Amino acid sequence: MKGIGRRDFLKSAIGAAAALKAVSPRRSVSASDKVILGIMGVGGRGTQLAGWFAQMPDVEVAYLCDVNERRFGRAVERVETAQGREPKPVKDFRRILDDKQVDALVNATPDHWHALGSIMACQAGKDVYVEKPLSHDIWEGKKMIEAARKYKRVVQVGTQTHSSLYVQKGIDYINSGSLGEVHLARVHNMMEKPSRKKGPEEPVPAGFDWDMWCGPAPLLPYSPGQWWMDLWDFSTGTIANECIHQIDLARMLLSLGCPTSVYQAGGVHFFHDGREIPDTSIATFEYGDLTLMLEAAIWTPYIKKIPYSIRDSDRFPNWPFTGTRVEIFGSEGMMNLGRQGGGWQAYDKNGELVHSEPGRQGDPRHLRNFIDCIRSRNKPAADVEEGHKSTMFCHLANISYRVGRRKLRFSPESHMFIDDEEANRYLKREYRHPWVVPDKV
Amino acid sequence: MSKILLVACWLTSLLFDLSLAQWLGISGVEASLEVTEFGGPRVVIKYDLDEEDLSPESPAYVFVRCSKDSGQHWSLIPSKYLGGNGRGIVESAGGRQIFWWGTVETSFASLERIVFQVRGIRMVRIPGGEFTMKSTPGGGYDGERIGQTVSSLPLFYLAKYETTVAMYADYLNEVGGDGTGWNSRMSDTLRCGIFQENSPPDCRYMVVPGRGKYPVTYVSWYDAAAFLDWCGLSLPTEAQWEKAFRGGKFLDSDSLKQQPNPLPERNYPWGDEEPGEGGIFRCNGRGEKDGYANTAPVGSFPQYSSPYRAGDMAGNIAEWTVDWYTTTYHAGLDGFRMVRGGSWRSFPSGLDAISGATSLPLGESGIMGFRGVLEF
Repeated sequence: MKGIGRRDFLKSAIGAAAALKAVSPRRSVSASDKVILGIMGVGGRGTQLAGWFAQMPDVEVAYLCDVNERRFGRAVERVETAQGREPKPVKDFRRILDDKQVDALVNATPDHWHALGSIMACQAGKDVYVEKPLSHDIWEGKKMIEAARKYKRVVQVGTQTHSSLYVQKGIDYINSGSLGEVHLARVHNMMEKPSRKKGPEEPVPAGFDWDMWCGPAPLLPYSPGQWWMDLWDFSTGTIANECIHQIDLARMLLSLGCPTSVYQAGGVHFFHDGREIPDTSIATFEYGDLTLMLEAAIWTPYIKKIPYSIRDSDRFPNWPFTGTRVEIFGSEGMMNLGRQGGGWQAYDKNGELVHSEPGRQGDPRHLRNFIDCIRSRNKPAADVEEGHKSTMFCHLANISYRVGRRKLRFSPESHMFIDDEEANRYLKREYRHPWVVPDKV
Repeated sequence: MSKILLVACWLTSLLFDLSLAQWLGISGVEASLEVTEFGGPRVVIKYDLDEEDLSPESPAYVFVRCSKDSGQHWSLIPSKYLGGNGRGIVESAGGRQIFWWGTVETSFASLERIVFQVRGIRMVRIPGGEFTMKSTPGGGYDGERIGQTVSSLPLFYLAKYETTVAMYADYLNEVGGDGTGWNSRMSDTLRCGIFQENSPPDCRYMVVPGRGKYPVTYVSWYDAAAFLDWCGLSLPTEAQWEKAFRGGKFLDSDSLKQQPNPLPERNYPWGDEEPGEGGIFRCNGRGEKDGYANTAPVGSFPQYSSPYRAGDMAGNIAEWTVDWYTTTYHAGLDGFRMVRGGSWRSFPSGLDAISGATSLPLGESGIMGFRGVLEF
């Protein structure tokens, strides 16, 4: 068999972006019929989203926003190449909100800006696509739902595997009783991440509005790097940023709402770089007769995300070494399901493989769904409320850790911990003026 | 063994763009076999290097490619296998000679089917010594400082200009018969300008008239590395790139220390003035006020070169380096590479000494290109 060249192999493996074109409507679109977007935050993910949206013939990316103007060159090139027109780069996202021609804001900022940016967009009459995790804390997640409902906005959360067809087939399989009674699910998030030590303070580089970048979070001395991703003031943590997808999948598969208790063990075991947020998390969530477990670590090089070569193929990953999988355990069988187009496979009580469902990445359908809902005004696939429910898991686990690794009981109705004043103090953070999420949105 | 008569030599095909933009002027290439007293016959390649202003600080890098089957297949003759005053770094113009005793072969019976291509690239000399590396390796994300900030580098040479459309098209006409190294976006007449004719395996490449001196774009990291490997060069490290951008603490090397660098921590190659300060545009960045809406011909801002006279280090096209962005979470793919210098789309801050961008190595865009480095 003739082997293919390495470059051809790699190009064929990166299917999601190319596949986006296949689900875009094949018609010429007048300028007045286009959905107009502004992208807030053009780091890696923001630039990727900008390029994908720009490829859609019925979408125009009119603005790119970032407080660091160094990011514009690459992002402008990506968008202009995709849509044939250059977007306008701006440093203040409020310029996007002021433009009545803009239909929606895509919020791809770090976690600490997700809530306020999205709420202000709703207030300005814009629909929102906000990256995961939805919010920096539980209280502001609720405020995001309130804003979306009050202003009747479409708010889609960036849990794109939500839109993958293979997941619905997994739901159907479980609901058919093929696994028997399900009482245990395990969500995995193991991989290798780099150490991120904060260096000494340096002058803020020219062209970078560090004050606005810190926004609602404390204004810390500037130092280059992503050290802020492991600090509570800025982030829900690396684990939460990744496992939110798998948690969302587990919720979908098992129709889970909010858990009634949580306990997190673990801590900062491996990295000695000054981080606050755990690099090892073992969390247990209770749902009556079902237990959901999160097993996460970010210092395990032998366990990896699903390779690109598998994500949009009919092949399956090596499950024991797949860091982004969900395991569903029933009385008659079990299921392994992978994020990012990993598909799922089911095994019977003898451990025999009885069903294989290949997967495709959800990005193309998820983005398309958002645009379609802007037009139809239907609730999107990963509506803000669904995103909040999934993100809650991360917040609950983090709070359990922060109060000393205690088991906490939570009321989904009141959105508060039961008889635990200390834990309830972590429901809402302090905001730095003027970037404050208001009580009344 | 009698001396073999002179046989025909072969200059690189120049039919599509006679400007040879940025290949140096090399003419009168002649190859012959000479008998030596003890070493057997050797090939002698003579040529004229018709290039003004060559010097030890701004020499030529001359490389030779050889075909043993009348031009059907070619390979680089590594400089270390060559002798004479006309190979590798050549510091002055005029008649030059290259000697070759063969590599795999111990001798040639004749040069009947042997042809040579001799090409030259203008370089700048970066003397060894300390310099101040301001940027954080890997774009500032290297918390463990795996990529240590370099404080000193040995002597190396950097291409004076970004690789041009004409140079790259010339390369494609040797290696790209099956389409390798070219993609359809290169035919963009405003941002690149290389057209492909025919079909594999007989593809040929034509340069859009007037585009030969512009930097080649839409090249992936692999395209850049392959071209430079073809020349006997390599991609620069971030440290090499930045030292060439800003200059060492002493511009004439640490061993001499006669020329201190007046601005060893300058923000831009020319100093600290903003690129458009005072209405004077010192490089090709965002906007058209600098005279260019897209890429500019290489060397368009000669008075604003780096301390070593390397042109377009800031702006025009962002340049691939060999260095990795230090993160490991892209399983199944090589990691991102660092790209330095900013481009014609960059804001002023994106053109400075510490700015860097990242790109997956397969990335091809109208704002990225490259230049090569010669190390010892």
